[in-house]
Amino acid sequence: MLEIKDLHVCVEEDGTEILKGVNLTINEGEVHAIMGPNGSGKSTLSKVVAGHEAYEVTQGDILFEGESILELEADERAHLGLFLAFQYPVEVPGVTNKNLLRQAYNTIAQEQGREELDPLQFEDYAKEKLDLIKMKPEFIERSVNAGFSGGEKKRNEIFQMAVLDPKISFLDETDSGLDIDALKTVANGINQIADDDNAVVMVTHYQRILDYITPDHVHVMIDGEIAKSGDKDLAIKLEEQGYDWLIEPATASVNGEQQ
Amino acid sequence: MAKVKQKKERTFLQDLLNFQGSLNGKSQFLDKVRLKGAEGVRNTPFPTKKLEDWKYISLRDLYRDSYELASELDVEVPDFSEHYLPESEQSRLVFINGSYSEAHSTTEALPDDVTIGNIAQLAAEDNELLKEHLNTYAQNNFEDDVFTAFNSAFLKDGAFIHVPEGKTVDTPIHLLNIQTDAEEHYFATPRTVIAAEQDSEVTVIEDHIGLADNKYFNLPVVEVNLEEGAHVKHTKIQRDSRKAIHIARTAAFVAKHADYESYTITRGAKLSRNEPRISQRDEEVEFTVDGLVLIDGDQVSDTHSVMDHRFSHAESHQLHKCVINGKAHSVFNGKIFVQRDAQKIDSFQENRNLLLSRKGLVNTKPQLEIFADDVVCTHGATVGQLEQDELFYLKSRGLNEQQARELLIYAFALETIENISVDSVQELLAEEVRNFTKRQLDSELAV
Repeated sequence: MLEIKDLHVCVEEDGTEILKGVNLTINEGEVHAIMGPNGSGKSTLSKVVAGHEAYEVTQGDILFEGESILELEADERAHLGLFLAFQYPVEVPGVTNKNLLRQAYNTIAQEQGREELDPLQFEDYAKEKLDLIKMKPEFIERSVNAGFSGGEKKRNEIFQMAVLDPKISFLDETDSGLDIDALKTVANGINQIADDDNAVVMVTHYQRILDYITPDHVHVMIDGEIAKSGDKDLAIKLEEQGYDWLIEPATASVNGEQQ
Repeated sequence: MAKVKQKKERTFLQDLLNFQGSLNGKSQFLDKVRLKGAEGVRNTPFPTKKLEDWKYISLRDLYRDSYELASELDVEVPDFSEHYLPESEQSRLVFINGSYSEAHSTTEALPDDVTIGNIAQLAAEDNELLKEHLNTYAQNNFEDDVFTAFNSAFLKDGAFIHVPEGKTVDTPIHLLNIQTDAEEHYFATPRTVIAAEQDSEVTVIEDHIGLADNKYFNLPVVEVNLEEGAHVKHTKIQRDSRKAIHIARTAAFVAKHADYESYTITRGAKLSRNEPRISQRDEEVEFTVDGLVLIDGDQVSDTHSVMDHRFSHAESHQLHKCVINGKAHSVFNGKIFVQRDAQKIDSFQENRNLLLSRKGLVNTKPQLEIFADDVVCTHGATVGQLEQDELFYLKSRGLNEQQARELLIYAFALETIENISVDSVQELLAEEVRNFTKRQLDSELAV
């Protein structure tokens, strides 16, 4: 579904290279976890896939269903079925969750040739999805993230994911800042959304969320490259031993290893 | 306010005084007001950039052009009923090019003991309430102001609203000032007086609309007086023609336990200058002077406000937000005075500017002058742009650039309009924000 090939990315403003040749293939029905220390480029990878304009791809390609998406704007990528759950969701006072999501849902539906929903239909549809993150119906009447607690913002990202029903979702540190109950709720929501037709990529520091969501593949990113890939046991090993054993000259030779 | 010696600039505005007398003869009272105004114009120079308070904007266009007093209305007027407010279907005064239009006005929904009507008619009837209030407050707060004097000198008509003691007027009153292009280069001097007696309550929408794209000079003066416990909600919407000059003064006096809420939306005119001056008349008052400015192209908007805290225990609030695009220029100078014996003042002032273009310009100066020692005054000013991360967030949800910008600008503006109590006004302002955003996007694409 998504193929990332030898992706090199730098910050447009100052030219700092952050991704230095990332290779990654994600298929339908898969759950991936990308782990790694601070500053390794995990968040950048998810933003670049979603189309953030602050980054420039200097080499390589990103293919979605066989087609390059590098030239597409963020909204056009969303129309194809890409989704990014933000690490720091933006507050939009004065615009209700319901209105933003209906506009988003209908824009995507229009692009994909699906039926648009009128306000009443959409409200019913959205309210069903609220159960996934255990939020009350009032949640959709509130302004987007305005005055939300950290946990509410993260839940809202997963709620948006459920409503927009993307083909592939990058979840950027969705687990950070959540207490254990909220973490379980969010993980449970993600598990229900993930199915055979879509794919989920979790970007995270900690193994914690992987106790609730079992990834098919785990990748470790170090200094802008995928230093190691494996299955869920790799995450457990990382939890026990940290990243140090990977930050060695060996890195270069493991680069490019495919799962 | 400091006085600066000024060379007297000759403008056509003084020459106009020769024609001022033609208005006289229908009411001795108004004749006197005009005479006093004419005196003021003769004795006061028109301001130039040399004055601190006028240094950011140029009035050259106004001084060098020529404007005539709008003639009496006998022209065909295009249908403007789309601008009627549903809440004020039966409580509306309409002025077209400065003249009262009886045909378009109706006050049936208002209680009988509320005195409401056009100033010329009430003056002709020698109305005592009118004589008590008209020019009392403007004269007081704008004593040295030549524009206020000019408005008086050419005072032809306007709206008078008097709400008696204890009366709550539930129906909002819509004052619709329509300008057509039946004439070019005319000036209008609408005067509005709102007198709210003890414990009364009233909501007024002061609306200025230019139907066409012609040049005119609109100089409204508004006087508001709140007696003890009165509550006045005053929303002003300025949508004058994009070639018009709009210079406005508002004088408000707030007595004990009274609450003056004012919201000013600036969208039109080539050059606009808005000057609210709010004065405390007694202890324990509240007032709000919020504003929203949406300008683009070569528009210039200047707000100079004075919030004068003269007695203890006042709560005042001023949130002034500006969205600037194109080569537009926004000026804000908000003066907060707290006089020596005015303790326990809680005053909030903030000017936030959203600059959408590289050529836009913002001058902002919040200004505190505090002579008391037990007060809480916060003030601040910011100038920012739409955040890339915010746009990215919305675009990643599938919204295109235009939809994303629209939502963010609306979100920025909302805080200054969401407290307006008339639903249809909130809706029409939301629409104005959307139109503004669309317009600025179109103009960008056209470049």
